Amino acid sequence: MREQRRKDAVWQFLTYAFVVTMVVVMMVPLYWMLVAATLPQEQFLQFPPRLVPGTAFLDNFAALQERLDFVRTIRNSVLIAVIYTLLSLVLCSMAGFAFAKYEFKFKEPIFYAILATLVLPIQLLVIPLFLLMAQLDWTNTFRAIILPWAANPIGIFLMRQNMKSIPDALLESARMDGATEIQIFYRIALPTMRSSLAALAIILFLFQWDLFLYPLVILESADMYTIPIGLAQLTGFQRIYYDQIMVAATLAIVPMVVLFLLLQKQFVSGILAGSLKE
Amino acid sequence: MKGAGIAGLAGLAGCIGTGDPESGGDGSDGSDGSDGSDSSDGSDGSDESDSGNGMASEINVWGWDVAARALMITSEEYESENDATVAVEEFGRSAMKDRLQTNLLSGSGAPAVSMLESVDGPSLIDTGSVAPLSDEIEEAGVKDDFISGKWEALTVDGDIYALPWDTGPTAVYYRRSVYDEHDIDPDGIETWADFIEEGQKLPDEQYMLNLPEGDLSGVWRYQFRQLSGEPFLESGEVNIHNEKSLRVARNIKEIYDADIAANIEGWTSAWFSAYGDATIASLPSAAWMEGTLRAELPDTAGDWGVFKIPALESGGPRASNWGGSNLMIADQVSDDKKARGWDYLQFSLATEEMQLAMYDEYGLFPALETTYEDPVFEEELDFYDGQPARALFAEVAQEAPGYRFTEDTPEVSQAIETELQRMINGEQSAEEAVQAAAETVAENTDRDLA
Repeated sequence: MREQRRKDAVWQFLTYAFVVTMVVVMMVPLYWMLVAATLPQEQFLQFPPRLVPGTAFLDNFAALQERLDFVRTIRNSVLIAVIYTLLSLVLCSMAGFAFAKYEFKFKEPIFYAILATLVLPIQLLVIPLFLLMAQLDWTNTFRAIILPWAANPIGIFLMRQNMKSIPDALLESARMDGATEIQIFYRIALPTMRSSLAALAIILFLFQWDLFLYPLVILESADMYTIPIGLAQLTGFQRIYYDQIMVAATLAIVPMVVLFLLLQKQFVSGILAGSLKE
Repeated sequence: MKGAGIAGLAGLAGCIGTGDPESGGDGSDGSDGSDGSDSSDGSDGSDESDSGNGMASEINVWGWDVAARALMITSEEYESENDATVAVEEFGRSAMKDRLQTNLLSGSGAPAVSMLESVDGPSLIDTGSVAPLSDEIEEAGVKDDFISGKWEALTVDGDIYALPWDTGPTAVYYRRSVYDEHDIDPDGIETWADFIEEGQKLPDEQYMLNLPEGDLSGVWRYQFRQLSGEPFLESGEVNIHNEKSLRVARNIKEIYDADIAANIEGWTSAWFSAYGDATIASLPSAAWMEGTLRAELPDTAGDWGVFKIPALESGGPRASNWGGSNLMIADQVSDDKKARGWDYLQFSLATEEMQLAMYDEYGLFPALETTYEDPVFEEELDFYDGQPARALFAEVAQEAPGYRFTEDTPEVSQAIETELQRMINGEQSAEEAVQAAAETVAENTDRDLA
């Protein structure tokens, strides 16, 4: 008994030690980014690196703002990511519901065709999409960034899997009570999907937030840049503006952190939902 | 100092013309004018067309970093002398390359004029999306005004596709205080063997140079080029396993084995710090490095000197090149934009006044050889403790051989990097390293060995 307890304690200690080590490994780069954002470039380039925060954050931000108008860049990113996330949530959940609960011709082939688009690398899509947008005269617009990805295959897949867990009897009884299909979707199906929608919202937001190559080609003027495009402008040949890059990177993660904190409870259960069949 | 800019240099450069088409380009070559653009009729419906001379009234230009800002100097001057707008857009380096490549390949959205690094020349030209400029260059008679080593990377099948801008003549930057303290005589270093021998005078905690494992291919390339080595024959065969390449590989191994080299990844904080506190006493690089040292290590100003990179054997060549850019015109733009673009190219790059202005303000070392006669190259510079370093760079620029960049240049870099790393780690000999690299490149690029 005592032996067992000791074994458990050792295991617990090792587990905690492993977890703490991993947390440190993951947090050190973030901490270094936060510290570096407060240092002037010459202190950033010192070795060994300084690990105590400095006082140059506002100066670095001012330089960044002058160079790039970073406030506008953040605003562009937030605007695009929020609109995209909302639109994509609607489309993905509707498509997921249809694939999960309706029978129609070629349902399976269509679903697998949508899934198959996941294997297409974005580099392959950039030129055809750019040409399409140029023909529509949509280059340098936000809609060109939002619409092509609105029906997200991962989102459709995730929602289909989750929607499958809704009992058919529930939907059937709603129909018997006279509910229309749209009412069934909005009033019955969607409210049970809150945690899945929260998880999907984070995935979609992050996808759009990080998108680089496609917006780089589509967004032509500096006043339309998103954060990744703005960050890429800070790396030159003779000089890399580390101080400004670190400020920009620090500010860039704030909306993501806020979104995650707001939705974190639902996130885990949403990701796990639908993964087990009862 | 910075404010001296154009007005001062205009005086230095003398009356070399305005670059205005009406006044005959750079005026120094006796060409009649305008720019060979008469053939373009500008009739493609561009709403920015200038009715008079077949040139668009507005063009856009892409560049990165200080180069873009240098173009803003010339665009401002150009606009003041011409009834035209030249809109310069500044990007990050790799961001611009990604975007430009997509725009060129898709045939839409590219700017009239953009920067083109020599190393990227053939791969972009091969896409068929860059406008040939041979006729314009010939008509303007400016080819001989530029250093000869620039043209090879810009020429495909006999046609020239860009006008040279800046170049990267190599030299060894060294810390005067360290050399003085340890009795190292830079004038006495003629060969790499001398360099290694002098490096032995430094104490254990100080290094003569940096030889990072991740950038052996860069070192190999400038030394291979120094020997007039060409990675591919004109007929296309892989040629990196020849005697010159072997000589360079052995040299790198000798430097490494002599324990005079630090191994610090470039452009990191540790790297800057090692040059800042003189842990590393010398830096083989190119003329553009001065701008970085001035900006990032301002406290070291006045303690630097430069000498030509050592020869691989006594009496051998001591000039090479590292980097350099050009300006190109996209083939997809209308004829009137091409005409305006060429006129702007000629104004910015083929006139001494503008090249010197960009050099003075942003350190872009001109590829326009005629500028080297300007007194500015004889100036004693405080940064180099009074050494007239520009004259040395100008001499090197004129001596540096050309180099055959191709779309497969990245394959060469990767293979050389891998095999030379194995060599310095003692896993194979220099002969085996260059042979293995050549075979890898041949296999990956479907080429034959020379």
